[in-house]
Amino acid sequence: MIGELATMTGFNILLAWSVYIILLSGTLSFANGAFMAIGAYVAGIVTVKLGLPLAAGLAAAAIAAAAIGLLAGYPALRTRGIYLMLVTVGLAAVVETGIQNIPYIGGVKGMGGMQGTTLYHIYGAVLVVGLALWKLTHSPLQRLLDAVREDERVAGALGVNVVYLQLALFCFGAALAAFAGGLYSHHMFFIAPDHFMVIVSVFVVLYVIMGGVNNMWGPPLGAIILTLLPELFRPVGQWRQTVYGVAIAALLLFRREGLMPFRIPSVRLRRNQESGSAR
Amino acid sequence: MLAEQLINGLVLGAMYALIAIGYSLVFGVLDKLTFAHSEIFMVGGYVGVATAALGMPVWWAIPFAIVIAGILGLIVEYVSFRKFNTPDGHITAALSSFAVGIVMIDLVQKVWGTDPVDLDIPRSIYTAGITAWGIRLAWIKLAILGTTLAIMVGLQLMIMKSRIGRNIRAVAESGTASALLGIDVKRVTQQTFFIASALAAVAGLMLALRGGFADSNVGLGFALKALAIMAIGGMGDVRGAMLGGLAIGVLEALAFQFDLGKFSEVLVWGLMIAVLLVRPTGLFGRATARELRA
Repeated sequence: MIGELATMTGFNILLAWSVYIILLSGTLSFANGAFMAIGAYVAGIVTVKLGLPLAAGLAAAAIAAAAIGLLAGYPALRTRGIYLMLVTVGLAAVVETGIQNIPYIGGVKGMGGMQGTTLYHIYGAVLVVGLALWKLTHSPLQRLLDAVREDERVAGALGVNVVYLQLALFCFGAALAAFAGGLYSHHMFFIAPDHFMVIVSVFVVLYVIMGGVNNMWGPPLGAIILTLLPELFRPVGQWRQTVYGVAIAALLLFRREGLMPFRIPSVRLRRNQESGSAR
Repeated sequence: MLAEQLINGLVLGAMYALIAIGYSLVFGVLDKLTFAHSEIFMVGGYVGVATAALGMPVWWAIPFAIVIAGILGLIVEYVSFRKFNTPDGHITAALSSFAVGIVMIDLVQKVWGTDPVDLDIPRSIYTAGITAWGIRLAWIKLAILGTTLAIMVGLQLMIMKSRIGRNIRAVAESGTASALLGIDVKRVTQQTFFIASALAAVAGLMLALRGGFADSNVGLGFALKALAIMAIGGMGDVRGAMLGGLAIGVLEALAFQFDLGKFSEVLVWGLMIAVLLVRPTGLFGRATARELRA
C-alpha cells in the first residue's frame, strides 16, 4: 500500500515537472497525458513486441514523444493562450482515439506484459530531473525563460529566439512525460487507452498550478499533496470525491498563486550587489 | 436512410450548439473557460429523470432544468471565477471549475448511482411519428430540434435586442469601459453564467430525452467536443457556435453513415486544430485586441 502510494507519487512528480518544463516558457500543455500514453505504448512495444531491455524502451519512448512534440508543437505554438490550451486538449483527444483504433497495440482492450519498473528507477529519475532543474534554476537560461514568460514580445525584441526556446522546452516536456509513461506501463503490467484520458492531463496541470508555477518545488509539492489527499480522506468513506473536489476548489481559492509562489533568484545575492542591477 | 441520418445529425448538432453557445458566452464576457459546464450539461439529464420519476409531464423538466442549472451556474461563478482576475487567472479558474465539476458528478452519483438511469417515460414516444417522402420522422426528434432551434433564435434576439443582451455585449467588448459607463459587470457576469448554464442543462435534458436515459459520465466527452466547436466557430460569437454545432453534428452523422463513427472524435479536434492554425480567431471571430492578447 505504502509502496504503491510512493510509486504513484513518483510518477506524478515526474509528470508535474514535465508540465512545469513546458510552462517555463509560458506555454501551458494539456497534452502531457497524451505524451505519457505515447511513451507507455512505445516503451511497451519495444520491450514486449521487440524483446529489448527496459532502458531501450524508455529511450525510444522519450525520442518518439520528442519527435511528435516537435511535429505537433510547431503548429500548436503558433496559437496563444486559451487557443493553445484548446489545441493541446485536441491533441490529447486525437492521441486517445488513435490508440483505441490501432489493433497492433490492443486497441480499446489494452496491452499487457510490460514489467521491470522498481521504486529505485522512479526515484532515480526524480532525482536526475530534480538536479537538472536545480542546475537550470541557477543558470542564465532561467533568466531568459523568465523574460519569455513575462512578455515574449519584449524578449523577442531583445534578441531571444522565442519560438526556438518554446519548441525546445515543449519537446523536453513531452520526452519527460513519455519517459514517465514508459516507467508507468512497466510498473502497471497492463495499459489501456482509458488510463490516459484527457482528464489525466487536466490533473497533471492541476498539480502544477496548485503547487505554484514560479519555482521547481511547487509542482512536486502539488503532485504529492493531490496524490496523498484522497488517502487522507479515506475516513470520510463514500464522500471522498466530493471532499476532494471541495478541497481542490478551496485550496485554489485561498492560495491563488499556488502553495509556493516565491521565485528563486537565479543569481546569488552577493554577486548581485557587486554588479548592481544584474537582477 | 441518408436523410434520416441528416436529421439525426441536426438533432445532435443542435445539442452541441447549445453547449457551445454557453462556452462562447462565458468566454466572451470573461475570457475564461469553464470546465464545470460539461457537468452542468450532465445534470440537465438527471433533472429530466427526476421530473419523470415524480410523475410530472416530462416537458416540465425544461423550466426545472433552467432554474436548477442557472443556480449551479451562479455557484460556479462565485466559487471559481469571481476571485481569479489576474493575468494567469484563466488557468486557475478553469481548474477550479473542473474541481467543482468533480463535486457535481459525485453528488449526482450519490443519488442515482454510477450506471446510466432510465427515464421513466412511455417508450411509445420513440416510435410515434410520421413518414413523409419515405423518411421516418419521430415526433420526439422533431420536438427536440424545434425546441433547441427556438431557444437559439430566442437567445440571438435576446443578445441583440434586449437590455441584458446589450449589457452582455458591452462587457464582452470591454469590461473596464462598460464598468465606467455604469454597467454592473458582476451582475452581467452572473446573468451570463445563468444563461449559459441553462442552455447546457437544456441540451443535457434533450440528450436524455433522445436516448431515454441519463448518464453521469457523459459530460466531459460530449462537452469537450462542444468546446472544440466553439473554437471552430469563433470564440465569443453565438452564430459561430450555432452553425459550427449543426455542421459538426451533421458531419458526425455522415461519418457514422459511412462507418467511420469511431473517428468522429478525431474529426472534430482535427478540424479545430486546422481551423485555429489557418484562422486563429475561428471562422466567425474578429481579430480584436483581446484575442490577439489571449
